[in-house]
Amino acid sequence: MEKTFDAKNLNGTHVIRVLDILEETMADGPGLRTSIYCAGCLHHCPGCHNPQSWDMNGGHEMSIDEIMDIIISDEFSNVSFSGGDPFYQVEAFTELARRIKEETDKTIWCWTGFTYEEIIADKRLAAMLPYLDVLVDGPFIMEKKDPELLFRGSSNQRIIYLNGKQEVPIEGTVPLKPVK
Amino acid sequence: MVKSVIKRDGRIVEFDKKKIIDAVTKAMDVTDEGEDIVLAAEIAAAIAKISKESMSVEDIQDHVEMELMNSPRKEVAKKYIAYRNQRNLARKAKSREIFKEIIEAQATDITRENANMNADTPAGMMMKFASESTKSFVDECLLSEDVKEAVQGAYIHIHDKDYYPTKSLTCVQHPLDRILKNGFFAGHGESRPAKRIETASILGCISMETVQNEMHGGQAIPAFDFYMAPFVRKAFKEEIDKISEITGEDYSALKDVQLDDYIKRDLLGIQGNDRVIQHAVNMTVSRVHQSMEAFVHNMNSIHSRGGNQVVFSSINYGTDTSAEGRCVIREILNTTYEGVGNGSTAIFPIQIWKKKRGVSYLPEDRNYDLYRFACKVSARRFFPNFINLDAPFNHHEQWNAEDPKRYEYECATMGCRTRVFENRFGPKTSIGRGNLSFTTINIVRLAIECMNEPDRNDRIQKFFHRLDWALDITAKQLCERFNFQKTALKKQFPLLMGALWNGSENLEENDTIESVINQGTLGIGFIGLAEALIALIGKHHGESDEAQELGLRIVTYMRDKANEYSEKFKHNFSVIATPAEGLSGRFTRFDRKKFGILPGITDKEYYTNSNHVPVYYKCTPKHKAEIEAPYHDLTRGGHIFYVEIDGDATHNPEAIMAIVDLMDRYNIGYGSVNHNRNRCMDCGYENADENLEECPHCHGRNIDKLQRITGYLVGTTGRWNNAKLAELHDRVVHK
Repeated sequence: MEKTFDAKNLNGTHVIRVLDILEETMADGPGLRTSIYCAGCLHHCPGCHNPQSWDMNGGHEMSIDEIMDIIISDEFSNVSFSGGDPFYQVEAFTELARRIKEETDKTIWCWTGFTYEEIIADKRLAAMLPYLDVLVDGPFIMEKKDPELLFRGSSNQRIIYLNGKQEVPIEGTVPLKPVK
Repeated sequence: MVKSVIKRDGRIVEFDKKKIIDAVTKAMDVTDEGEDIVLAAEIAAAIAKISKESMSVEDIQDHVEMELMNSPRKEVAKKYIAYRNQRNLARKAKSREIFKEIIEAQATDITRENANMNADTPAGMMMKFASESTKSFVDECLLSEDVKEAVQGAYIHIHDKDYYPTKSLTCVQHPLDRILKNGFFAGHGESRPAKRIETASILGCISMETVQNEMHGGQAIPAFDFYMAPFVRKAFKEEIDKISEITGEDYSALKDVQLDDYIKRDLLGIQGNDRVIQHAVNMTVSRVHQSMEAFVHNMNSIHSRGGNQVVFSSINYGTDTSAEGRCVIREILNTTYEGVGNGSTAIFPIQIWKKKRGVSYLPEDRNYDLYRFACKVSARRFFPNFINLDAPFNHHEQWNAEDPKRYEYECATMGCRTRVFENRFGPKTSIGRGNLSFTTINIVRLAIECMNEPDRNDRIQKFFHRLDWALDITAKQLCERFNFQKTALKKQFPLLMGALWNGSENLEENDTIESVINQGTLGIGFIGLAEALIALIGKHHGESDEAQELGLRIVTYMRDKANEYSEKFKHNFSVIATPAEGLSGRFTRFDRKKFGILPGITDKEYYTNSNHVPVYYKCTPKHKAEIEAPYHDLTRGGHIFYVEIDGDATHNPEAIMAIVDLMDRYNIGYGSVNHNRNRCMDCGYENADENLEECPHCHGRNIDKLQRITGYLVGTTGRWNNAKLAELHDRVVHK
């Protein structure tokens, strides 16, 4: 498994390399969402629709506090993690997800190029799962591309409900037992 | 002694020597010898002495010519005669040019004025010819001088001016229950009280289609679910009767059984009375569904409005919590979702969901499930829009959740946004009333004219001064039109004044409508607040707190003046955030011609709709809501909040719900969500891509792009006028 990228600023609280934050978007999951696009991905899937996001040093640093401010002020939205691959900054995103769960009622959808199986096999990566509501997993595979799919690009990718609560029936989704 | 003059339209006005003097000196001005006021006065005096009480304009002009020929200044006579001929020719030539344009089916703004009208068909063309004729007649003969100047100066725009001579009113909310219960006489056909759901829904169409020909604006049904509900139960009872007849058993006791909902279910495993009931329910639901389909299909295709137009129709629903009402709501939503024809989006009727806490919005509300469904339908089909009955200004003290007729206290809107609720001269309700006419002020021009003031405060002072003038002129014009409209006879509007308009039941055939039309509203509209603010302080209200403060000040001022006029002139004046369509390019063109290209103001083809944040300005839906919401309270004549969303909301109805939550939080009165809807005309594939040229499914290139314009949907943007197309290109998605 590739090295994950983990940055700490001098104070010890985590920072995230962010490409962009979209507020009140409806393209990244149900309802309106605050979408955090992080910089950095090493999967390099052929046909990726956002290769600018691969650069591990791209974007700019933002502290968790700053990001939380934006999330909280975007009242009518839940949250989405995307990019890039948030799991390449897993400690920072885990911290962010934990705070979101503690301080708000918002749900979190997270996109990743890792598969669910790869994640639960790795202790560091699995640490984020308890704080996520939905994981959209798997690399983008061009041969399996299907524009009719919701919220994902190729048919190998899955929408996985992690806490057993399926709020809205979405075709092709996979409900799993809650992760302990 | 000549006392009065008969104008070309038949009006009688006072004889005024000054007019003759002016005309003669004008002719003198273009001769070498120049003016001779004394001679002009003598000629005027000579004509005044003619021993006739009244003379026609033509007669007077004849006499002037004669006097000039008999005077030492014969060359003036020549100029006078030439000028007279020129004017006659110009009057005819102008029509000729316009008529030619219509005939050659050119894509000019004349043929593109209204997005839902097909002006290329014979009926459409006849309408245009008539329209252009009446407009010039109104200009020349029906408007007072100062009003005419304000119109020609592009300061104000009188809406539906072509209908002015007919004395028509704008729009009405149909009290369909009265018609369904009592039947009506529609001029050439009579209708008995309705007995079946099929008839009831068609009568809804007929009512709107008939009255459309008696009015110049839209038609709406304020409580569609409540009105149709009794017929659902009637259908159920008929179905029980049929079963009794077929089986020979007597099931009549089941006719009044209590039902929570009308839901189709398979009969497998159901026995006895339950089976009878379920079968009757299944048949009822099918019949209601078919009736709703017929209703939508009818409103979407019958061109009953003059000029080959479909009726501008709207229906409001959502608050009937009875099982029957819910069945109506469910089936109208199902029909809409399925689409007309091969699954295309129906452009009419505009549908409006009545959102009300405790009834049709919160998760614990009875109609919450239907509200969710409505959002899903809206994501795909643009409708329903949402009227927020929880906004404080939409409350009604007499509304009571137990009242079976509570819809009379629920505000209803026209699809385009026109709102009629408050009433100084009768009961506060939306039903059985409507707008009488509205006129829009070009506040951008008023602002531009103040731009030469270097000091900001002076500039703003001057603007309010000019606004005062424009408001006074508008109020005067609306009153003048009212005074003309009130002379219409009841028999000129047979169905409107026969069965719909409040109080009309007391009128005799040959009475004028004067005693009842004061129930209606007079609308003072405005366009381009954003551009006006840029002209005054360099920024629009979406991007600057200061501009927002000034914007609110301006519209508050207009609202306060409207209230003053209501007191003074004894009418229901209100401010309306004008739905600008044909108008949105006209003012800009005139202003650009006079003032040149002013950045941010006249450098585009259109002015921003009323108090909206400019479509090109990127901001989140929340920010837009914060900015626009306070204006809704000030514009009781009508307002709307639009959000452009990024992408296909079809599978994301939560996004629509989040927008409604936004409306709820900020007390927005009426709102809707815009998005693209592309449809491949070959295979039926639909999506929401921004610039779809080729179908991803069948690779055809025959794509119909559906978009919303001023509240109405139009496909194939080729039918939009230039200004609206320009605005469409600028529309930015709100994220």
